Amino acid sequence: MLEIGIVHYLIVAAALFVTGVFGIFLNRSNVILILMSIELILLSVTINLVTFSHFLHDLTGQVFAMLILTIAAAEAAIGLAILMTYFRKKGSIDVTEINIMKG
Amino acid sequence: MYSLADFYFHATAALPEIVLTVFGMIILLFGLVREDKSTPQVTLMTVSAFAVTALVIAAMPSEPFKGFMGSFIYDPFAQFMKLLVLMGGAACLAMTLSYNTQEKINRFEFPVLALFSTVGMMFIISANDLMLAYVGLELMSLPLYVLVSIRRDFLRSSEAGIKYFVLGALASGMILYGISLIYGFSGTINFTRLSETLALQDGVSITLSFGLIMLICGVAFKLSAVPFHMWTPDVYEGAPTSVTAFLAIAPKTAVFALLARILFDGFGDMTAQWQDVIWIIAAASMIVGAFAAIPQTSIKRLLAYSTIGHMGYALVGMTAASFDGVRSMIVYMALYMVMNIGVFAIVLMLRQNDRQTTDIDNLSGLGKTHPVVALMMTVLMFSMAGIPPLAGFFGKLFVFQAAVSAELYGLAVLGVLTSVVAAYYYLRIIKIMYFEEPIHVLDKPTRDLEVISGIATIFVVAFILFPQSLVNAAQAAATALVTI
Amino acid sequence: MGLIAVFLPLFSAIFAGALGRIIGDRATQAITCTFLCVAAIASIVMFNSVILEGNTETIKLMSWIKSGDLELNWALRFDTLSVVMLFVVNVVSAMVHIYSVGYMSHDKSKTRFMAYLGLFTFAMLMLVTSNNFVQLFFGWEGVGLASYLLIGFWHHKHSANAAAIKAFVVNRVGDFGLSLGIFAVFMLFGTLQFDPVFDQASEIAGTTFEFLGHQWDALTVTCFLLFIGAMGKSAQLGLHTWLPDAMEGPTPVSALIHAATMVTAGVFLVARLSPVFEYAPSVMEFITVIGALTALVAATIAITQHDIKRVIAYSTMSQLGYMFFALGVSAYGAAMFHLFTHAFFKALLFLGAGSVIHAMSDEQDMRNMGGIWKEIPITYAMMWIGSLALAGIPFFAGYYSKDMILEAVYADHSFVGNFAFWCGIAAAFLTAFYSWRLIIMTFHGKPRADEKVMAHIHESPPVMLFPLIILALGAILSGYIAYSWFVGEDRFEFWRDTLFILEGNDTVEAAHHVPSWVPILPFAIGLAGIAFGYLLYMFRKSWPQKIANTFKPVHTFLYKKWYFDELYHNAIVVPLIKFGYVFWKGGDKKIIDGLGPDGIANSVKEGAFQIRKIQTGFVYDYAYTMLAGVVIFITLFIVML
Repeated sequence: MLEIGIVHYLIVAAALFVTGVFGIFLNRSNVILILMSIELILLSVTINLVTFSHFLHDLTGQVFAMLILTIAAAEAAIGLAILMTYFRKKGSIDVTEINIMKG
Repeated sequence: MYSLADFYFHATAALPEIVLTVFGMIILLFGLVREDKSTPQVTLMTVSAFAVTALVIAAMPSEPFKGFMGSFIYDPFAQFMKLLVLMGGAACLAMTLSYNTQEKINRFEFPVLALFSTVGMMFIISANDLMLAYVGLELMSLPLYVLVSIRRDFLRSSEAGIKYFVLGALASGMILYGISLIYGFSGTINFTRLSETLALQDGVSITLSFGLIMLICGVAFKLSAVPFHMWTPDVYEGAPTSVTAFLAIAPKTAVFALLARILFDGFGDMTAQWQDVIWIIAAASMIVGAFAAIPQTSIKRLLAYSTIGHMGYALVGMTAASFDGVRSMIVYMALYMVMNIGVFAIVLMLRQNDRQTTDIDNLSGLGKTHPVVALMMTVLMFSMAGIPPLAGFFGKLFVFQAAVSAELYGLAVLGVLTSVVAAYYYLRIIKIMYFEEPIHVLDKPTRDLEVISGIATIFVVAFILFPQSLVNAAQAAATALVTI
Repeated sequence: MGLIAVFLPLFSAIFAGALGRIIGDRATQAITCTFLCVAAIASIVMFNSVILEGNTETIKLMSWIKSGDLELNWALRFDTLSVVMLFVVNVVSAMVHIYSVGYMSHDKSKTRFMAYLGLFTFAMLMLVTSNNFVQLFFGWEGVGLASYLLIGFWHHKHSANAAAIKAFVVNRVGDFGLSLGIFAVFMLFGTLQFDPVFDQASEIAGTTFEFLGHQWDALTVTCFLLFIGAMGKSAQLGLHTWLPDAMEGPTPVSALIHAATMVTAGVFLVARLSPVFEYAPSVMEFITVIGALTALVAATIAITQHDIKRVIAYSTMSQLGYMFFALGVSAYGAAMFHLFTHAFFKALLFLGAGSVIHAMSDEQDMRNMGGIWKEIPITYAMMWIGSLALAGIPFFAGYYSKDMILEAVYADHSFVGNFAFWCGIAAAFLTAFYSWRLIIMTFHGKPRADEKVMAHIHESPPVMLFPLIILALGAILSGYIAYSWFVGEDRFEFWRDTLFILEGNDTVEAAHHVPSWVPILPFAIGLAGIAFGYLLYMFRKSWPQKIANTFKPVHTFLYKKWYFDELYHNAIVVPLIKFGYVFWKGGDKKIIDGLGPDGIANSVKEGAFQIRKIQTGFVYDYAYTMLAGVVIFITLFIVML
């Protein structure tokens, strides 16, 4: 019988983190996917922190996790708001079109 | 457990932040009631709030003091850096008013957002644990995202907002992942306890080092150091110039303070691990800052690369990992702030037919049409290029001295070489101002901008007369961070 | 008294240069002229006390250089030789200062002019009073600088700038020889103070050194090098091309620098170093030949020139030739005597010519003059006196000194002496001829200037005439008064030990015992020259043109100044420019700049554009760069672990 230990949690978190990161720079469709990837990254960190908190018998990690959730909500709200203004002006949220400034 | 008295006791450490936050809320309410027509009063109130906060900071005792279970530290270093941030923030807000009115982005939220961002900066300066550092960083960044994209009718502004936001979030993710690793493999996120733990360890955990590297990379993003600088030119260009000025001046100082605290307070025993990383970041920043600015045609993009280069020079001081290094870094940041205030005040003046212009070619003939402005720009450009006897020269001199005394000869030589290359584009601006015929005559600059730029120019010129007072202040600040 | 004579000109220069703009033109002129007059009076007092009463002295001012064997002081050496020069320089300079007040009255930068004049005078005095080679060199370069500044005084004129540069460059060739000579002196003698060098000269004579597989006499080489310096400064044949061009400067400058004082520095140098030159007989012969050729060549050129100042300039060069061949036969006294009298009458001629030019509204071409002697009688008289003195007519100054020189070279009884004698006689004829050609073309005949100029002709103001009269007195009397001092019975008492002549070389003594036709010949030939001049230009006015046409090649050859300028231009200047061009384009631009500054600058720009390309503007690329950064750092960390 498989004993689920700290390593498994960490692997899940790492996998989520990597998925999130790849979602940001491999994604060629739209910005919403990027926002979702960011959420993935934050969630992976949350899992990490809670895991460590549990195994270290230390509450700091869980408190930190709560803070991250809060901030992630604020961040998502701001991100979506910016995206809205962009969409209103541009009429598209295709990431391959976001390059009027370069060089 | 904590009693109410304890809370008051701890709260005194964060008194300036509390004062500023309370002011911010009052101003926000005021603005909500009076709406956008109250922007001038709101701006004035914000600047006053900064001034009051600065007075509170100046009045506080300078002994190191920790509150909130050791997660918040108040010491001369924090005191000095907070004063710098408040000064820079106040100067920026004072500059923005006329510009924002002209560009019709004079919303009352503008100063309030800048104020809360400044609160975030003050928190990260005083952060003594990674949680507070992270929250502070977010508190600083979130209003900046909004500020960058505040021109909703302007696609570039929104695009800059998206880029800044997405990459900023990615950087936050890296910081957080790094923090989670540090937490997991050291058992604490408090700098004091971290350094105690590290001092007891024989070897250094690799995973812990990974965490540290990711943390440094995330913080380097906020500094716009290479290779995490990619957002900088685009955001500088797309954001309204008033926001660009704020972005270039205030947050850099605060983030530098955070980086110094992480590296010296938290990971002072892991110098060997982080010194090489900072070395590469500093070198790459100096190189990119010097080279990539050369083909630029927009003064705002050029200043973005200039900022990247300056971050590299300041990081040279950090790389030295010595008392001298930190001191020179503090001096450099102070001078950088003053020079940028002056330069951005001039950039804000550059208007044609009541529209902002950022094309460098439009500076042509400025020496004839606006001799005073051109003279101030010349002095500031010379100073940025590090030409003696102006202030910028001393900034670079101290930094390179620190690098040499830490035996970082390669970095010092690289710094000198890149500052020669960088001199090219600073001098190009001067050449365009004086040796080319005017194409379009610029509008008459507003008085407030001239005054601010003039003060910065005088400071830059007169610095040679009293370099010691700034160096002494930096010395006191650095003593709190690094033992000699 | 000596200090006053030397340093007042310096104060005058500093005063005019520093305060001139503040106190105004009038006051500056008054003060500088006063200073120079006081200095001139001081020189007369010095002349009396040092020469006539024998109070030779050396004033040490301060220590200059002390390095190993080399020990030099700033010192003023007042003996007969230097005081004669002091006298000449200060008196002529004072006259020129006064004259300039009138001559430069229409110029904008009067104070600058006065400052330069003062600077020149001081440098010249440093040269003549020096007690060692290096201070002499300092004065030598100082007068060169002042000369450059004054020739190019009207710096808005292209020709003036070109002439100034030419003077400077040609002099530099001579100065190079002089400095090599000074190095050689230090090598040979181990000191640069005059007295020890003079004392050792007899011992050093005969030492040789090997160079390019050939044994050279050390003293000969040294003296030759020193003489190259003298040739440059004194415009001797070969290095003379700058002097006629130097006439681009204001006329008072020509009078002071390019006639009376600076160009005689070479003569002074050889006379001062007579104890050394006496031991280098082959160099002395060389000097004689060069001097003789210069005297003749310059005179032949002078008869064809049309510019009044150029004629006098070539005349100066010719007279310098006389002085040099006198030096060459060890007749130092005669050379110095001619230097002394020449200073007066040549300055007189130049200032007189300046007066004419001033009257003719800055016209210098004699073909556009004529018929003005009644309008400017005093100037006319002065030019007559100057020309009579120059032509060597009895009882005028030139008669005594020129005759003395010719007698001395005749008395040398050597091949080169005879050569110089006949060259001198021929030159004397030509001198008289071109002098009267000048007078007749300038003053007589029908007016050839346009009416506007003619209507404007006026005698010069008293401030210009006064110096002319003083100098005319000098031109009349100096020969008669000074004859016995310089070359007559009193000469041993006069010169004391400042001139050194080996036994058997005393040609001045021998000159007193020449056949009676020798002193008469120059006078007769001078009269013949005058008569010839009258014939051609007064009575048979068509002849000169006919002669010129008949001997077209000869005339062109002379008119083109023996093609010296063309020769130098084609043989030296053009190849050098080409050579330099090759190095500039090939060496500097392509190799040094190409690989150095320009190459680096280009690769910087190239690199900048490359870095710019990385900045694509796409969010995912930016994110990728960031992650790549993290990955690189982590990899590096693992690798370095």
